[in-house]
Amino acid sequence: MTESWIKRWLFTTNHKDVGLLYFFTSCYFGFIGAILALLMRVQLSVPNNNFLSALYYNQAVTMHGLIMIFWFLSPIALGLANYFVPLQIGAEDLAFPRINAMSYWLYLAGGILAVLSFFVPGGTANAGWTTYQPLAVLSLGTGPTLAYLGMVLLAASVTLGSVNFMVSIIWLRAAGVTLSKLPMFTWFMLFTIIAMLFAFPTLIAAFVLASADRIIGTTFFTSTGVQPSILWDNLFWFFGHPEVYIVLLPGFGIIANVLPQFTGRPLAGKTAILVATGLIVVPLSFGVWMHHMFLTGIPVSLQGAFSVATIAISIPFDIITLSFVESLIRGRVKFATPMLFALGGVVLFIIGGITGVFLSSPVLDRVFRGSYFVVSHFHYVMVGAAIFGIIAGIYYWLPRMTGRMYNERLGKIHFVLSFLGFNVLYFPMNLLFDMPRRIFTYSNIGDWGMLNGLATLGSFIFALAQILLAYNVINTWYRGPIAPANPWGSPDLEWNSHVEGMTPAMDSSVTPPAGGWIGQLATASDVHGPSATAAPGGHYGHLSSRPIEISLGALVFLAGTAFYPGPAGLGLMVVGALVVVYSFWGWGMDDLHDKFVVPPEPEGDRWPFSAVPKLKLGMWVFLSSEVVLFGSFLGAYVFIRAATAQWPIAGSIHEIPLGTFNTLVLVTSGFTMFLALQSIRNGDQRKLMAWLAATFVLGALFMGVKVAEWTNLGNGGFILANPAMSLAASAYFIVVGLHGAHVTAGLLLMLYLMKKTTRGFYTKDSHEAIENFGLYWAFVDIVWCFVFPLFYLL
Amino acid sequence: MYSGLLSLPPTTATFYSLLNWYLIFGIGAAIIVIAALVVFMVKFRYRGEKSPMPEHKVEGWKIVLITTLISMTVLTAAEYQTFAAFNNIEIPNNASCMANTGSPCVQIHLTAFQWGWNFTYPNGKSQINNLTVPAGRDVVVNISAKDVFHTFGIDMFAAKEDAIPGKTNHLWFIVPAVQVTAPPEVKVTCNSAGTWCQYLNAVRCFELCGVGHALMWANLTVISQSAWNTWMGGK
Repeated sequence: MTESWIKRWLFTTNHKDVGLLYFFTSCYFGFIGAILALLMRVQLSVPNNNFLSALYYNQAVTMHGLIMIFWFLSPIALGLANYFVPLQIGAEDLAFPRINAMSYWLYLAGGILAVLSFFVPGGTANAGWTTYQPLAVLSLGTGPTLAYLGMVLLAASVTLGSVNFMVSIIWLRAAGVTLSKLPMFTWFMLFTIIAMLFAFPTLIAAFVLASADRIIGTTFFTSTGVQPSILWDNLFWFFGHPEVYIVLLPGFGIIANVLPQFTGRPLAGKTAILVATGLIVVPLSFGVWMHHMFLTGIPVSLQGAFSVATIAISIPFDIITLSFVESLIRGRVKFATPMLFALGGVVLFIIGGITGVFLSSPVLDRVFRGSYFVVSHFHYVMVGAAIFGIIAGIYYWLPRMTGRMYNERLGKIHFVLSFLGFNVLYFPMNLLFDMPRRIFTYSNIGDWGMLNGLATLGSFIFALAQILLAYNVINTWYRGPIAPANPWGSPDLEWNSHVEGMTPAMDSSVTPPAGGWIGQLATASDVHGPSATAAPGGHYGHLSSRPIEISLGALVFLAGTAFYPGPAGLGLMVVGALVVVYSFWGWGMDDLHDKFVVPPEPEGDRWPFSAVPKLKLGMWVFLSSEVVLFGSFLGAYVFIRAATAQWPIAGSIHEIPLGTFNTLVLVTSGFTMFLALQSIRNGDQRKLMAWLAATFVLGALFMGVKVAEWTNLGNGGFILANPAMSLAASAYFIVVGLHGAHVTAGLLLMLYLMKKTTRGFYTKDSHEAIENFGLYWAFVDIVWCFVFPLFYLL
Repeated sequence: MYSGLLSLPPTTATFYSLLNWYLIFGIGAAIIVIAALVVFMVKFRYRGEKSPMPEHKVEGWKIVLITTLISMTVLTAAEYQTFAAFNNIEIPNNASCMANTGSPCVQIHLTAFQWGWNFTYPNGKSQINNLTVPAGRDVVVNISAKDVFHTFGIDMFAAKEDAIPGKTNHLWFIVPAVQVTAPPEVKVTCNSAGTWCQYLNAVRCFELCGVGHALMWANLTVISQSAWNTWMGGK
């Protein structure tokens, strides 16, 4: 426990370190989620039990869902991806190592908020993980607010992470790693990332609206005039259905990656699997969300259409599943533990997939909706297929991570108990299709008592079996026998990189020791990465304190927000905001003084984006998720407008002339920004400075006018507390406020760019940052061009 | 579980015949695919070097094509059955109620609240946690909620619809006789004259709506048409 040890784990930006942090943190959250699940199963083990009260049960059911889905399932996959995607593509690290570390720390910060919520008076969120409105907004207390703000942080972390992975997989492939040679796990992570990129912004929007209702008193989900439940359902399930595949696809990727290693033959229908997943499953996953809303009163024709879309999305899964089965034919099937879990995952997916087809029928949904049949279905998919896949990956890669071999017999026992326990736990729930889910107690009617008892028995078998996994991993880590360099004979790069000279640069100076490469690597620089040692010359090297500082600031800020308007709340908010601004500024200064060493990026295979620079690609990817973010907010606004009979007449609230003037100001700033870019393209640093300054002044003027407008609106009674204006004010202040926040962030970035300009950082040939900022600023302008007519003119 | 001489409400009958289709397709598909997996797994298991060398053909387009065709056929057949059962979820208007039963639909208004059900009848009377309906008439329940999202479900009619604040949803069923088949978890009490039967806890809430969710039940009382007409007093 030396100082450097602590420094390494807190400040690391190395993808393997961050991968391990993700992995162990998600296991911790998985443990909490499992305890909550067992508490529920104990309560339900017999009829009329009073082990948990209704409120505690509702809290357990809610936080079990949120924690398992958001802080366990996705992050554990991201942990493996952090570790192995760069290795599989032959990259030294991810494209943006500090942003990667920041994704992790934001994820942890969000998790801390969620766990803290248990310990405030009144307890945590209790409206189900689906957070149905208006119940979730009406359940008072700080606890739910903390949990929902934790969700916002988590979603922000995922968005950053998906930008990072997207750019990495496209841009950092080593020479020769063409798309056709990408291992299946990396392919499936790419699909997952794409779904994340477009799904999570909607989740951010949903939870920002819900949190705003709870904290500052907006009325999105409390005014009954606008069917708040339907607004929430649309936002939540537009995110929610892709989320199912976000959870599932990494597990499938591992299964597809693992199967051929233990059959000795190539994966059958590899191209078909990729086409089915990439071109059908991921895009179509955004078009089936209303099958969660069959009973909300949508027209029968729409129910039919979404039923058909849901049926359609099951066909690619048939192709994938049957290709997996076909991959066994004429192979040499070896039953090592990873293979057992992969096959087990396929079997459980078959069952979970078929019950999903049942749920796609609006007529059958009239019985199954809200019952244990649904609970069984999504656990077969999200635990059965996804987690069995992940466990297969853990056993498969453990020799690569530790250099040591796990205990095969223990692994097999773990599989048998898990598979058995899982089915004893979840199969009876199929037969409980007449029992409402999320009820904390039931009377002894029919066979409910017996089936619930069986499920509880299974839950304990399944949970206790995971102790074997934990023991096996820890035991392997410290005492396992040294593993051969490539125990499965895999052709993939992560097992062969050091053999083929593609070892990360920091390792190439190390001579392979006797007794095997990997066994040594496990305790030396391979696992630890370059962050283990500071770069010479007193620089920070590959370590950075900024990610954890920013996340800590965000944690403090949001914790303060939850306690707003109490005095402690406001104080925490100020401190948190200062820390965030300070550490972002520090981040910029680190760059200015070259304190952070980015690993070199050799020319590799970048098709189809060979011509696009890395940062620009990142900016494009980020902005595309921003489009979804603003689209979600504007969509919510349009929904509210359409559902509200009486809305302030255009011009009666917002001064159209002033708004038009401000629009012109912002559009002009877009033009001056373009001139700034043109100046540096011609190599004129003085003109660059002048036009940047002009853009800054115009941007500041825009914000100044905004402040004046908001003050006038407040004085004129256009406030949240005014019942007649409340909804219009909620929508206006949140959407325009979000845009204003983007403008403000742009102004701060411009200060930084101007500082760099005065130091002569930008030249005719090197001005990538100006170009990327130009993209961002243009995006902010374009968004306003939608916001202005929607709010001022209509 | 639905045997005996008592009649089955038509929506329930439709549900179970549709469910049977899905069970045949679903269980059939599950057995075939899982059996194939197990058979291949055992047949092609590694038996030392005497195992034949593995296949090296990468693509299996033929299988993909066959898979797609078979799944599309099976799924289309299942979906067709669902569409054929849409009568269950289409809300009849007065004309179709007249055609079906010779009387207009019985319109009942329901307001769900934390935690109970408030039914209002055409005669203006209200009942809390008891839904009274006449046998042999098409019943349309117009559902809304006072406070939060609830889901109104009567499993014995395979009928369920969300109760949402600020919105009115509709649900339809018909009870062919005063006494009909009920699932084992619903206790039935009837009077000796055969003019009413009470189905205990036949109505349940299926969406988490707060701490009272688990106990948000209502009874269903089916009465004869003449008893209903008397109660309505000519309305």
